Amino acid sequence: MIRRLCAAIFFSALFLPLPSLAEEKSRVTIASPWEVSSFDTAVSGFAIQALEIMENLVDADETGALQPGLATSWSASDDGLTWTFQLRDGVTFHDGTAFDPAAAAQSLTRSWQKPGVLAKAPVTGVSAKGDAVVFTLERPFAALPAILAHATTIIQAPSALDADGQPSALIGTGPFKVERFTPPQSIDLLRNDSYWGAAPKIPAASYLAAGRAETRALLAESGDADMVFTLDPSGFARLENVDSVKTLAVPIPRVVTLKVNAAHRFFSDPRARQALSLAINRDGIATAITRFPEAAAGQLFPPALSGWHSPSLPRLGYDVEAAKGLLAELGWTAGDDGILVKDGERFSILLRTFPDRPELPLMAAALQDQWREIGVELQVSVASYSEIPAGHQDGTLHVALYARNYALTPDPIGTVLQDFGPGGGDWGAMGWENTEVADALTAISATGDQALRSKNIAKVARILHDELPVIPIVWYQHTVAVASGLQGVVIDPLQRSYGLSKVSWSE
Amino acid sequence: MTTARPFLTILAQRALQAFIVAFIVGIVSFAMMQALPGDAAYRIAAGRYGYDMMDAAAAEAVRVELGLDRHWIVQLFDWLGALAQFDLGRSLVYGSPVIDEISVQLGYSLLLAAGAVIASLLIAVPVGIAAGLKPGGLVDRVTLAISIFVRAIPAFALGVVLVLAFAVQLKLFPVAGFRGPEHLVLPSLTLGLGLAAVSNRVVRDAVADAMAAEWQLFARTKGLSARLSVLRHVLRNASLPVVTYVGVQMAYLIEGVVIVETVFAWPGIGHALVHAIFARDVAMVQGTALTLGLIYVALNLVIDLACRGIDPRTRSA
Amino acid sequence: MTDQTQTGAMPRPRRAWPRIRPARGLGFTLLALLALCAVAGPDLVGQDPAKQSLLDARQPPSAANLLGTDHLGRDMAARLLSGAQLSLSLAVLSVLTAGLPGTLLGIAAAWYGGWTDRLLTSFADAVLALPGLLLVLMLAAISPGSWWALYAGISLTLWVEYFRYTRQRARIVIAEPAVEASRLLGLTPALIIRRHLVPEIGPGLLTIAAFGAATAVTAVAALGFVSVGVRPPTAEWGVMMTELLPYWREAPFLILQPVACLVITVLALHLSVGGMRRP
Repeated sequence: MIRRLCAAIFFSALFLPLPSLAEEKSRVTIASPWEVSSFDTAVSGFAIQALEIMENLVDADETGALQPGLATSWSASDDGLTWTFQLRDGVTFHDGTAFDPAAAAQSLTRSWQKPGVLAKAPVTGVSAKGDAVVFTLERPFAALPAILAHATTIIQAPSALDADGQPSALIGTGPFKVERFTPPQSIDLLRNDSYWGAAPKIPAASYLAAGRAETRALLAESGDADMVFTLDPSGFARLENVDSVKTLAVPIPRVVTLKVNAAHRFFSDPRARQALSLAINRDGIATAITRFPEAAAGQLFPPALSGWHSPSLPRLGYDVEAAKGLLAELGWTAGDDGILVKDGERFSILLRTFPDRPELPLMAAALQDQWREIGVELQVSVASYSEIPAGHQDGTLHVALYARNYALTPDPIGTVLQDFGPGGGDWGAMGWENTEVADALTAISATGDQALRSKNIAKVARILHDELPVIPIVWYQHTVAVASGLQGVVIDPLQRSYGLSKVSWSE
Repeated sequence: MTTARPFLTILAQRALQAFIVAFIVGIVSFAMMQALPGDAAYRIAAGRYGYDMMDAAAAEAVRVELGLDRHWIVQLFDWLGALAQFDLGRSLVYGSPVIDEISVQLGYSLLLAAGAVIASLLIAVPVGIAAGLKPGGLVDRVTLAISIFVRAIPAFALGVVLVLAFAVQLKLFPVAGFRGPEHLVLPSLTLGLGLAAVSNRVVRDAVADAMAAEWQLFARTKGLSARLSVLRHVLRNASLPVVTYVGVQMAYLIEGVVIVETVFAWPGIGHALVHAIFARDVAMVQGTALTLGLIYVALNLVIDLACRGIDPRTRSA
Repeated sequence: MTDQTQTGAMPRPRRAWPRIRPARGLGFTLLALLALCAVAGPDLVGQDPAKQSLLDARQPPSAANLLGTDHLGRDMAARLLSGAQLSLSLAVLSVLTAGLPGTLLGIAAAWYGGWTDRLLTSFADAVLALPGLLLVLMLAAISPGSWWALYAGISLTLWVEYFRYTRQRARIVIAEPAVEASRLLGLTPALIIRRHLVPEIGPGLLTIAAFGAATAVTAVAALGFVSVGVRPPTAEWGVMMTELLPYWREAPFLILQPVACLVITVLALHLSVGGMRRP
């Protein structure tokens, strides 16, 4: 063993001297679980936006309020069918080429033709006109500026595309430019000294994708990473006691929900869905698995989704006896093995979920156990998340467990409309139609009138609460560990930015 | 399989083998990707857009863009035709040329594999020689026990222990990442320790065998000192199985380090292969499998030549 | 490949079946104990390995839960035993299905020689050159989280070793004058194989089998770690390690248990064949 140790130390010595000891700390390193694999903004837009490499026409602050970005102002025509975005002057891309309306229109046209939020908006054309970009619509759509703040509508330079029209570089207008990109694990950034806005205080930054939560917690603890995002509950608890690190937990508008196929004979009656909901011990899951007891979802929209959360709605409860009663009303009786039976058919269903978010299989295991209490047998399939939209399309899905972000765009209406509008959505209602909700959602998307919006939002929230086309389980907390020497850290609940351009090292 | 072959024959045999491997790997990986359940368009769309953005519309767009509704024979011949022009195509998920993806990731994998082999040799050779000089002695028995123990510990547990000791407590090396040579140390050591657990026994056996062999006795009767005879004969003869074993290790390392890559956030080809299979990225899977297969053949060629260099008997006749 | 044979060119004295020594006795005892645990399964502690109690999660050992509870409040002892069932049956099965055809094909290649030999050898070479990881991953992807896919993948990568060893040894044995004489005497192949070949390759095959079983057990655990193997809530050692690793700091006794089980199994397998020497 001594020999072995000696050999190990000898080997280690080969790699000395260590630059990390000599170099003065200036570079800020971010660690996060998400890999960045592509130059394509339609694929990697989230990371490119959050690292402030590229920017949107429209920006948003931490509350979701829209702010000028690469567009200084915007307006709709009186009929609501034409939107004009006035572009900022004197902006250049990282490679020195000019940011002009033609470049913006080219980039946005590409976003529009690729799958993404813009493709779903009622857009009929994008063009450059004078020093502005003009969108034409087929019907009024008040949420267009919010959609132009989304990660898939960031502006990339025309020079970022190769001869085949495929993106082959990360060239934008943001405060950071790319020094080195090693897909899928890391991006090294340098300060863009010719940035049009306030220049970042730090000269360089790095992004490292570390898939294992333990690795990220260790990176934070050892000081190898200065900002670490998405920690596991245990690692978070541990880091709270480490002096060199500050921990933050910010509620975000992401919700773990259970999609139920309402067209299936087991779940077509709302009482069946209510029974399933009543049998879920949300407090237990929030306490033991996510370890934020206050994040047990009392309703679908979390408090972080200001304007959509309704404090007046009663909390979704946990009552096994009431759940059994509802199922008995529907004609289910317990069989020999305790599993409910009706017309010779056992209440045995398949839940689809995926391992990319490690807490989901754990929650599936918890549901399996909790539903057995009311006589529902749950099989769990942990596979690719694409099985969920696929099962939605071919109708074979029973229930699915996933985490849904209702603020993909600063205005949640886009996502909610997609999920609960006519026909339901791949990541929303299935086999469930409600004309009241559909009408209310159409009204919300077409108007900017706050009073009218609030009234309709309250209606939508109440109906979803009673009918439960999707059953909410827990709300998400965005967990972050930050080196204590780092100042000016702002955690964006919308996860649009890591806030690199505002941080600095304390003296 | 006989002992001696001319140099050119070795080359020709390996070239033929490379061709066969390329063909089989291509066909097999293609066939298996076709046999996978589930709709490829959905899987690819999921890999591209992430679950917040992925839906049926995105999947249909992918299907049209990549022509996934064409007959599988057409798709296979497309790939083979492109391959004949040394074009591995573009990744279905990332859109970038497969050759670019592989060359980056393979580079990192080779670096890690080389680091691991060096680490394992640095540990295994001295330990193995010490144990092999006196088979059945105390050193031999203690190192055997330690070897079995290390071999049984899962790589990630070893990794976490090393990170705790060297990165968090001693702050000698970084936890994860790959910016500089110091990042290579802990993952190499994790892998190297696991390898050394086996290879120090190979060294020990080879040394013990060589010590016992007849010509060794002969060398002693010739009057050479014990030290010299060890150096000249034992090590030379013992190095044959070791070289062979190192080659086998390299092949295992290049593909088999997924776990260490995951723990240390190291961009490698094993990691890429896992992702490509789950995202149904046929072009990437074929390209990766082909590269790994050819590397295996190349490694064997190198081993053949190295053995020829070490042991003159394999050259004669 | 051809290379490994070169050093073994000089014939070695035929080995008798090795004697049982203390270390090997310990190995066999451990194996027997493990087998017993696997056969009895979770019934041994009278707990349901799937039964959760979220509010009693991560409890240290107690009278009710002999080895404590995991992150979902399930009984650790019951889960480890259930994992033993899975890992050991997988190891035994994959060794059998890889060993039998591997050995028989090896004998066939050596016995017939010529084209049969060349065909079988190049087939084995091609399988070797196929990345083993690819094979296992593909099969695992065809049937995600299923037990048989793992088993088939592992078995398919293991057989080559039996084939190569048997073929190499059998060629030497068959070339011996004694065997030639037996052939001339008109003894049946079965008899010749039993009399001359089995004593020669038997011990070696046993060792390969133990190595293969150890590889199979660790491979399943490793695949579970990259979430390719069997999926939660199945109690499998690798899956348990993955699930419990996040809690290694606050409850180290949890993650240590499946690791210890794996270490003991591999240790027992190696001890029972007398070390780490490959034949």
